[in-house]
Amino acid sequence: MAYIVEPDVVRYACMCGLLKPISRLYFCRHCLHLRCGFCVCHEVDSLFCGKCLENLPSTEAKLKKNKCSNCLECPSCHQQLSSKAATVAPKNPEDPKATPKKVIYLCCLNCRWTTRDVGIPDQEVGKSGWPEHENVHTNRLNAIMNHYKKLVLKEKQQQMDKDKKQRKYTTSLAERTGVTASILRKRLGMTELKNPLLEADDLKPAVASKEIVDSIEHLLTTPIKLNDITTIDQRLKLPDWQPTAVDKLYPVHKQLSVKRSLRCRSCEHNVSKPEYSPNSIKFKIQLFAYYHIPEIRIVTVEPLRIGKQCELLIKLINPTQHQTTITILPLEHLDAIQQEDTKVIEDPPETKEPLSFQLLQSSLTSHPRQINAKVGTDVSIPTSSIILPARDDAAEYDDTGETQNFQDDPKLVVFRKSNKAVIKLLVAPMENLELGEEVIAGFTMQHVYTSTIATTTENKEPQKFDHKMKIYLTLGTLVGSQ
Amino acid sequence: MPIYEGITTEKLHVVIDIGSAYTKLGFSGEHAPRCIIRTEVFCKKTHKVRKIYDYEDKYDLYDLLVDFIHILYFKYALISPKDKPVVIVESLLSPTQFRDVLAKVFFKHYEVSSIYLLPSHLVSLAGLGIETALVVDVGYKEATVIPICFGLPFVHSWQALPLASQSIHSNIKTLLASENMGMVDINENVLEDIKVRCCFVTTKTRAQSWNETKPTITPCPDVEYPYNGKSSLKISGKLRETVYELLYVEDNDHQCLSTMILDAILNVNLDLRKILAENILVIGGTAMAPGFKSRLKEELYKQLKCTAYEKLKVNDFKFHSSPSLDNYTAWLGGAIYSHTELIQFKSISREDYLRENRIPDWINLKDNQISLL
Repeated sequence: MAYIVEPDVVRYACMCGLLKPISRLYFCRHCLHLRCGFCVCHEVDSLFCGKCLENLPSTEAKLKKNKCSNCLECPSCHQQLSSKAATVAPKNPEDPKATPKKVIYLCCLNCRWTTRDVGIPDQEVGKSGWPEHENVHTNRLNAIMNHYKKLVLKEKQQQMDKDKKQRKYTTSLAERTGVTASILRKRLGMTELKNPLLEADDLKPAVASKEIVDSIEHLLTTPIKLNDITTIDQRLKLPDWQPTAVDKLYPVHKQLSVKRSLRCRSCEHNVSKPEYSPNSIKFKIQLFAYYHIPEIRIVTVEPLRIGKQCELLIKLINPTQHQTTITILPLEHLDAIQQEDTKVIEDPPETKEPLSFQLLQSSLTSHPRQINAKVGTDVSIPTSSIILPARDDAAEYDDTGETQNFQDDPKLVVFRKSNKAVIKLLVAPMENLELGEEVIAGFTMQHVYTSTIATTTENKEPQKFDHKMKIYLTLGTLVGSQ
Repeated sequence: MPIYEGITTEKLHVVIDIGSAYTKLGFSGEHAPRCIIRTEVFCKKTHKVRKIYDYEDKYDLYDLLVDFIHILYFKYALISPKDKPVVIVESLLSPTQFRDVLAKVFFKHYEVSSIYLLPSHLVSLAGLGIETALVVDVGYKEATVIPICFGLPFVHSWQALPLASQSIHSNIKTLLASENMGMVDINENVLEDIKVRCCFVTTKTRAQSWNETKPTITPCPDVEYPYNGKSSLKISGKLRETVYELLYVEDNDHQCLSTMILDAILNVNLDLRKILAENILVIGGTAMAPGFKSRLKEELYKQLKCTAYEKLKVNDFKFHSSPSLDNYTAWLGGAIYSHTELIQFKSISREDYLRENRIPDWINLKDNQISLL
């Protein structure tokens, strides 16, 4: 499908003001607005390993530092490492009973790097777990982290004591009667409980030294082998170590991937939610605009010349299970409505009350950016609307001439088949365009959207809404003037 | 089940250090960042990789940062940013526009609950457990020096010069073009790779003899660098040794890396000068070049003999080594700070931001009023 929707020639204006092809848009059916990847809220849904497809709960993934415990990556070229089996001769070959031992080592099938290259001992079959590389500063850093934690806690305690002294009346009943927890403990003959974090620790601050150990003597005389020195990408793959020599590389655990669910920012309903299992590529909720909004494709356009009315044929496709009516309106139509809306909102006088969170959160969607497209042609707006029947999968294969009884304007509708119709519009490029400039046409499309959400029991009839959006068509370059 | 997460495990906060070349991302209380990635995004419109810091205006930066932070959270951190605190390590000298847009992206687009902003020079000392030191940050765009005394950054004596990776890369580019015919347009990633794998900082005596009209020393061996699959670049021994020289050679204003350090020391109080000179911490990825620090020490002693620095009365220079690698020292400081309870009462909450519509900054007079307590 990429060849039909990929060159962004037909772009829909999202509510946030970005122009996107229909394949990249979502349609929130609760607030009846177009949404795109920029203006929905992304959330992490489930974590999984992309290689072994193991599903990890978020707490477990946190413990494992978002890495898969089974899958390892090549530190040299960042591809997957595969296990390779080998046999090792028994320790004492004279012993007739001794059988050759089976061992496993890791090998990269892309760059042929193996764990044997860097001297990591082979693993016995059935034993899992490769030796992990440890940070050399672990003990010192733990001590420092504890030290700072205590320092802040102490400061907090002092501040609290200070506050207590300043307070005139004790509020707690226990303190007024004189029986506090610490006194109770004393009475019972128990030792006083001390917060282990408040005890003083003896962290020795680092000492600066005069000597610096970075000798370059060996670089001056011996020629370097580029293959033995790691590249910066290889170094940064092991952030805590960053080895400079190839023989110090170490296998890296594979980073987990996430499935994302998308949420509409103004009504907080999901617009896309994948199935939990990493094996599945299906969705639980998928409100893609492609399934709800009529699709527009350019069929043909006459060579564009300034001042000349050119024929533009566009195809309208109704993807829904309900009949719809499409009306083409001028581009400015929607602006006029929006301005009226904002006028109403602006009217109430400013209050000093804190804004409610609901309002704050929708700030992103309520202040759309300017649409970044320069319209370079007028479009003749047809007077009549087009009725599109519902999508019928069986009709796609029905080649017998179907009879549709629609009272079409023959000047507007050129061709019609099942849920598709081709209409003819006239465009006239504007005078101020230059030769070779891209011509963009724009109009507002209004269609009848039939809501499929189960409504209250009294209202059995599916609700119908008029939904409007701006469409921008890139028609091609200007070839000349009349 | 998100409700129980807080009880079973300790809260982990995302700690981000957005550098001009590389971004360090990890979690609070950890000893090393989870990943160090290039600060760039792929632009779908132009099909080019764009650096975040090469933004055109604040609207362009907003879009770039939205894309970049999306990658940080959903490809590396793997948590939803919404309603969670975030810790950002940034330089005190980072542009106000960048700071403002970054806060806007985090609060308005990603709806984080709070941002804890930490000055990179100050927090770098956390890994050492000391309070007073001269912090020299040599990164990608510029080298900055800020003295930290008793846990307070002395911003008035800051020094900054564009002596960092970017100028070294362009230096390699011009030198390579003169040595290899027709090699004019070399990708910056290749230049960086040449710098990292072939080049080093030479000693002071050798650098001086390179400056003579007829150098008598034997250069270090040449390197044949494979390029573009078919051809190869000849990297001469002289290039390998001398690309870093521009950091140590005085420019027209008689300024270089060593004078920056001495000027910064000169700008602070008499009593602190000796302590600062004996507590120097060098951070930033460029400082990881072999021979960088020993050469810096040599240069400092050489500059000390100049008349301008006679009044310093400093005899010794001592250097610290952080329990981390130089390129993530500042990040480590952020991870240590955010592991404490400071994050609860020092961070800027979303409500505060939305009420004020700005984040506090040391440069803003509004935040510098002396309280009447």
